[in-house]
Formats: sequence, C-alpha cells, structure tokens
Amino acid sequence: MKMADGSTILRRNRPGTKSKDFCRWPDEPLEEMDSTLAVQQYIQQLIKRDPSNVELILTMPEAQDEGVWKYEHLRQFCMELNGLAVRLQKECSPSTCTQMTATDQWIFLCAAHKTPKECPAIDYTRHTLDGAACLLNSNKYFPSSVSHRVSIKESSVTKLGSVCRRVYRIFSHAYFHHRRIFDEFEAETYLCHRFTHFVTKYNLMSKENLIVPINVGENAAPGESEA
Amino acid sequence: MGTNSGATAGINNKPVGGAGGAGVLGGGGVGGANSSIGGVLSNSLGGGGSGGLSISGLNAGGQNANVGGLIGGVGGMGNVGGDDGGNGMVGGGPNNQQATTPQYTIPGILHFIQHEWSRFELERSQWDVDRAELQARIAMLLGERKCLESLKSDLTRRIKMLEYALRQERAKFYRLKYGTDPPQLNEFKPSNEDAGLAGEVATDSEVPYSSVSNTTWRQGRQMLRQYLAEIGYTDNIIDVRSNRVRSILGLNNNAEHDGSGGGLGSGLGSGTGGENLSPNINGNESNKRASETEGRHTPAKKVQQSIDEIIVDTEAAVMANFEFLGATEMSDDDEISDDLEMVATDNDDTDVKLAKRAKSGKDMLTEEVDGSLGLGELAQLTVNNDSDGAYDANSKDGTGASAGGAGYRKTWNAKYTLRSHFDGVRSLIFHPEEPVLITASEDHTLKLWNLQKTVQAKKSASLDVEPLYTFRAHTGPVLCLGMSSSGETCYSGGLDGNIECWQLPSPNIDPYDCYDPNVHSGTLEGHTDAVWGLTTMQSNIVSCSADGTVKLWSPYNKEPLLRTYTASEAEGAPSSVDFVRNEVDHIVVAYNSAHCIVYDTETGKQVVRLEAAQEMSGNTGKFINKVVSHPTLPITITAHEDRHIRFWDNTSGTLVHSMVAHLEPVTSLAVDAHGLYLLSGSHDCSIRLWNLDNKTCVQEITAHRKKFDESIFDVAFHATKPYIASAGADGLAKVFV
Repeated sequence: MKMADGSTILRRNRPGTKSKDFCRWPDEPLEEMDSTLAVQQYIQQLIKRDPSNVELILTMPEAQDEGVWKYEHLRQFCMELNGLAVRLQKECSPSTCTQMTATDQWIFLCAAHKTPKECPAIDYTRHTLDGAACLLNSNKYFPSSVSHRVSIKESSVTKLGSVCRRVYRIFSHAYFHHRRIFDEFEAETYLCHRFTHFVTKYNLMSKENLIVPINVGENAAPGESEA
Repeated sequence: MGTNSGATAGINNKPVGGAGGAGVLGGGGVGGANSSIGGVLSNSLGGGGSGGLSISGLNAGGQNANVGGLIGGVGGMGNVGGDDGGNGMVGGGPNNQQATTPQYTIPGILHFIQHEWSRFELERSQWDVDRAELQARIAMLLGERKCLESLKSDLTRRIKMLEYALRQERAKFYRLKYGTDPPQLNEFKPSNEDAGLAGEVATDSEVPYSSVSNTTWRQGRQMLRQYLAEIGYTDNIIDVRSNRVRSILGLNNNAEHDGSGGGLGSGLGSGTGGENLSPNINGNESNKRASETEGRHTPAKKVQQSIDEIIVDTEAAVMANFEFLGATEMSDDDEISDDLEMVATDNDDTDVKLAKRAKSGKDMLTEEVDGSLGLGELAQLTVNNDSDGAYDANSKDGTGASAGGAGYRKTWNAKYTLRSHFDGVRSLIFHPEEPVLITASEDHTLKLWNLQKTVQAKKSASLDVEPLYTFRAHTGPVLCLGMSSSGETCYSGGLDGNIECWQLPSPNIDPYDCYDPNVHSGTLEGHTDAVWGLTTMQSNIVSCSADGTVKLWSPYNKEPLLRTYTASEAEGAPSSVDFVRNEVDHIVVAYNSAHCIVYDTETGKQVVRLEAAQEMSGNTGKFINKVVSHPTLPITITAHEDRHIRFWDNTSGTLVHSMVAHLEPVTSLAVDAHGLYLLSGSHDCSIRLWNLDNKTCVQEITAHRKKFDESIFDVAFHATKPYIASAGADGLAKVFV
C-alpha cells in the first residue's frame, strides 16, 4: 500500500467523487493485495485499465488457483451482463420476443423454475441472471469461495459450465434479435468477446454452441461440456 | 461552550421529563401496593411462626420494592377503575333522587340499574385484580421463606463442617505441641481457644462456660477472620461483601419501616430461632452489636446448645460473606455459580418470572425444596435487587428512558446474511414497517429482500436470505437509496447521474415472476454527475451530486425538479445530505470543504453553517462522509474521514461534541427512530452502536471484509422493528437482531 516515497494511497471512492474519478487510482499489484477479494480487485483493475485487452484480462497470474480464477471471472461476467439486461429491458418485451431464441434452431427453456418453462426472452434473461447471482453467491455450492475466495470444490467447478451456457444465450439472443443494442454494448465493454475467449480458453462450453460470430482464433479445444 | 452545554442539556431534557413523570406514577403505585401488602404480610407471618420467619418477612419486604414496579401499573388501573366507579355513583345520584320523586321512568330506572351494575362489575374486577395480586404475593413470600429456610440449614451445615475441621485442626496442633491428646476433644470449648491463650485456657478449663464464652467467642471470631484473610480475602473484600449483603438486607430494613414492622416485631418476640437470626440480619457485619446480643444471651442460657446457637448466630454473618465470596469469586460451588450465570442472563425476565411465580407458586415451592436451590435463589435475589437498585438510581437521575434501555441491554447478533450482489453494497434501506429491505450495489442493481423468507445456511446459526426482486435500470454502480414513508416507493441514485423511482413489488412476490416494466416508475434526470446522497421527507426527495448541486424533487409532479441549491465553488462538491427532521423546510448538506450548510428549502438561502474554527483548522482529512439529522432534536451528526463523529447544534452552528469513533474513517451513520441510539460504520470493518445520551459505545460488531481500502458503506435501523443492518464492500449485507 505504501508508495516508494512513503505516502499512502487509499483506494477509496469517497462520497462526492465524480464518476470519471470513480475507481481511478494507481493499480495495485496482485501480490500486494491482502484482501480476501484480491482476485476480484485484480480482475476489475485490469478491465478498468483496458476492457479491450481481453488476452491480458484472461491471463491467469502464477500461483493462482484456476477454479477461483474462473469463478471470479464468471462473477464479473454476470455482473456486467446486468448492463446488457438494462438495455434489453427497454426494447425486448414479452410481446416482441415471446420465446428465448437465437437462431430458429433452438427454443431455450428457463431453468429457474421447478419445471423448465418457455419464458419470454426478457424474463429468461432476468431469471438467468438472478439465478446465476444466487448460485454464485450460494454458501451451499460455493462455500469457501463465497467467504474466502481461495479455493473451490471440484464439484462446484462443474456448475460454472452450466452457468456459462445459460448466460451465453443472452448474448446470442441480443445478437440475433437486438443487434443495435448488442453492438453498442459490445463496443463499450467487449464483453461477448471476452466471454467467448474465456469459455474457449477454459473449455467451459463446446465450440458449436458459440454461435455469435466472434473471431477467437486459437486453441479452442473441441467441446465436451455439452448439456 | 455555553451553547455546547445548553445543547447537551437539551438532549437530556426530553427523556428526563418523560421519565420523571413515569417515575412519579410508578412511585404512587408502589406505595399503594406496599401498604396494602403490609397487612397481608403480617398475617402470613403470624400464621407461620417458625425459626426462619423473621427472615422471610424481611426479605419479603425487599421483594416488595422489587415487585412494586410491576404492580404499579396494575394499581394505577385499579385506581382508574375506582374513579369510574365513583362517577357511576355520582351518575346514579340524581337518578336516585328521581326515583324517590314520582316522575321516575323506566329508562331512568334501567339507566340507574345499568350504572349500578357496571359499578359493581368494576369494583368486582378491581377486587379480583387485587386478590390475584395478593395471592401472587403470598405464594411468592412463601417461596422466599422456604428458600431462606433451606439457606439457613445449608449455612448451619457448613458452619458445623468448618467447626469440625477447626476442632480437628486444633486437636492436631495440641497433639503436636504437648504430645498428648487434648483433654476435651469432644467438647466445644477447646475449639474456641486461641493458640496463644492455650495455657490460660488450660487453667480455665474447669470454669463454667458461661463466664468464658464471651472472650473465647470473640477470639473465635478473630480466628475466623484470620482464616479468611489467610485464604486471601482481606478485610476490605469482606467489608465490600458484607456491605452488599447489608444492602440486600437494607431493603428489608426499609420494608420494616414501611409496614411489615409488626411482623418483624412478632418474629423477634416469638421463637428462639427468630431471636437468634434477626440480629444477625440487621447488623451482620457490626461485631459490636453481635457481641452485645451475645452478651445478652449467654448469661441466660448456659447450656452447650445455646453456645452452639450463638455460634450459628454470629458466625452466620461472616459465613454469609464467605458464602458470597464463594459464589462469585471462588466458584468452588458449581451450583451457585451456575445459578448466578443463569440469573445474569435471565435478569431481563424478572417480570415474567414473577408473573410465572404468581401462577405456579406451589410448583416453585416444591422445586426449591427438592433441589435445595436455596442459595441459588438467594443469589438471584441479590442480582435482582442490585439491578433494581441501579434502575432506581438511574430514574432518579432522570435518565429513566435510557435506563430502561440499559436495563434491558440488548446485544445485537448477526442473524441474516444477504448475499447475492456481485460487488460492494453501497447502500441499504429498511421498509418502514415490514421486515423488508432494499440494497443497492456497485454491480448496477438493487435487490429486494424479505427477512421472513430465509434459507437455513449450512453449518451456521445465521440465515441466508435470497433476494425477491432485482431492480435493473442504472447503467453504473448504484450509490444511494431513499424510501417513501409509506414504504411503497423507493428511489435510487447512481454513478450514472440518474435517480430512478421504483414501485416496490409485494414482499411475497415469486422471485422468478414475469418482468413487470411498471416497477420502474420513472427517472429523475437533472444531475450531470454521480448522485451520492438521497433522502426523503413526505413526498419530496433531496439529492446531492458530484456535479456540485443539491436538488429538491417532487417525483410525481409534472415538473419533478423543484429547486437547485448551489454553494460557492470553495465548498466543493456535496458529499451527503439530509432533511433537518425537527424543522420543516430545512436541509443540511455536507461539502467537500468539511463544512455543513443548512438551507431553507423555500427560499434557497443558507440558514446556518456548521463549522468550528479551531476544530476544523486545516480541514485536510476532515472530509465528511455522511451527515444525518437527529429525528427530534436540533442536532446534526457528521461522520468524518478523520475517524471522528461530530455533533452540531443546528441553531447556533457550533460544535457540541466531537469524538474519535473508529480506527478508520467513519463512513455511515444512522439514528434510531426514537433518537436514543446512533449506529456508525467504518472502513475498519466494524459497526458500532452508541448511546446518544452519554455518547458511549454500547456494542461493536465486526461485520465486513475489505475490498481495496473500503469496508462498510452503510448502516441502517429499522424504524419499527428491532433490526439493524450493515452493507459492505464485500458484496454482503447483514442484518442483526
């Protein structure tokens, strides 16, 4: 925390901070972060610096537990997807998009209900994000990660894949049905780009499910985590 | 400083008045209860007439004071009833006259009869109440008596034991010194010999006990004192303890004056046990008096037994001390200490207990006798009396209201953990009535929580709550929240500069219900930078923003923006804002300059500036994170970056009080609806509860983890239910009960 000259940098957003100064502080090296939220801090710091540098954002630091790394990234994706959901709320209504579709090939059923339901696209979006928020914060499925963020059970890591598949459909629906919104959002956040890169890199989704055309271009292992 | 003290006095005044009134009323009730019980007491005493009688009488007197508060209310009700009865009589009067005159009518008669009937009903119910009260008291007093009897027998047993040990010790000593068995091993007398007096005693051994007993007795007492001193109890402690015993029994002395004096007198006059024990109680630690009584007794009774009894008598005083020492400090007696602990925790329930006793007095009796819980019961008495004493003292000081709070000092414990946000929770607010709250987070969303819909968390006592609804409209972190007094509408301000208005969905909504666009009922656009502060008053809201302005809104007007208040450049951006709660049309705004300005919302003029030159010299680091207005007094409270909480007088603008409150910047404040307690949160990860009356910290709870250098963003009181909550940078909100 101490700078070379001895003055202390306090990374705080005090009330009254202008929005352009929000979180605008010198980067803190990961090894100096002593918080239990260090990985989240680190990822957010990278995104803040340059959201388009997907490669750097997804580069896992040494000595980092891969499960936690994936978990933290997925949390960040779900959080940022709220932005897309806000935009979709304005345009995507149950009357225009009665079903959650991307291409005409599939109708996605909403898994938030006891028996999966054919929710309208906007409901699907909201339910999926809400469900993901509950799951990723659940003490039951991610007991140690929620409180300590140092390790993750293997059984919980498998949950990450299904969350990825579900939230990806929000991208695909937006891309195929609300292209303007998608493009605007993507231009700002590079989120779909980063997400595609992420699931490919960590093998969380099969390649044929990644239907939004984004050129990832490398090392995508052929898919297995289907269903 | 003049205004300073004036304002503090102001703080004190309100509760004082109320408490004073209550005190007077209660006093009346107590008086009545006491006098009426005096008679009953002496009756029951007369009936009993055994050894422990006078004690029970005395202690019952103590209990009188104890119960007085409880009964005071009932007594008051009874009185009201009486008054009504009186009215009934008066009302009946004219009717009566009419009845004698020939003009009486059927309705008149009916009216009269009704009056009479209701009067009798009233009186009857009043009698019933009195009767139940007195019965309860009788049962209680009987219980006391039983327990004191068993206490007495227990003490006697202990004394016998100690005496035996002493005798053995003495015999051993004698044997070692003279090589022979002591001449009178089985007699009582050698036990009273002092080592230094051995020779003298040897010659005196044939002298009748009566002549020696006085001096030997004194020596024995000395010995016992030495013993106690040896085991580490200095006279000081003994005195403290005996004072405490006396204070318990002191109540009895008062009671004696009150009305049970007759009972005591008869107790003194009757059985031998009563004779022996009563002086013991009245002056247990005053050796002089004890020896006086002893002097009175010994010549009269020369039997061995009488000595024995005298020993019981005076020794009991010291032994009582010893007993308390044992109970509280040595904890050699598990039973006692356990009971003490239990009593300590159950202390709040005294009233309930008494009520219970009234119902099941008999059960209590058997319990006490069976379990020989006599000592525990006494210990309970002590604690209860102590706490009552404290309460009385407090109400005399005039802080009755807060003493009531302190008397039932609540410890807050984390009960609900609200986890569902992906990033720091910047703000939270309770519904004014329901156990419902809303959180606002840097993850761009707000969430609605119902504390009655919980999921039991694995391996933990706390409950997890799942959110019922997620509010999405902000395109950046949500920073502040406000809620209408009806609890129907909620407002949120965000880094995106917008204030969003929300209609709260039902607290029983299905979390995965269909999207209802009407929940988001509007956006207040006007701020050009992050909205950091938001607060509501009736239908208006006031917001402050990093764009340097403070805006007053009436959200559902055609033109929602009513007024904008801009301070001079030098003040910088506003950081927090609140309505002045006891002054309509005033708002208080905290600025980057560490000054607070009170505005009149109508005129837009500055009313007063809250600043203190010497305190604020060099306002670097004095940055105000939060400003709140006291709900009833003209006091403004500010939370500062320099770890202080400061209190300001709104009328003069002067600093009333300043205190270091946390280890790191204080970020958030909340005052409970009655204005008695203050809650503060800080980046040191803890929340603290303060008693506003004396500005002392009542409780500290470590609640959240740090993210970067931030920890706690907001704290809140529920307006009507016993909930407090904290929101943290770790993405969690916690609710404490």
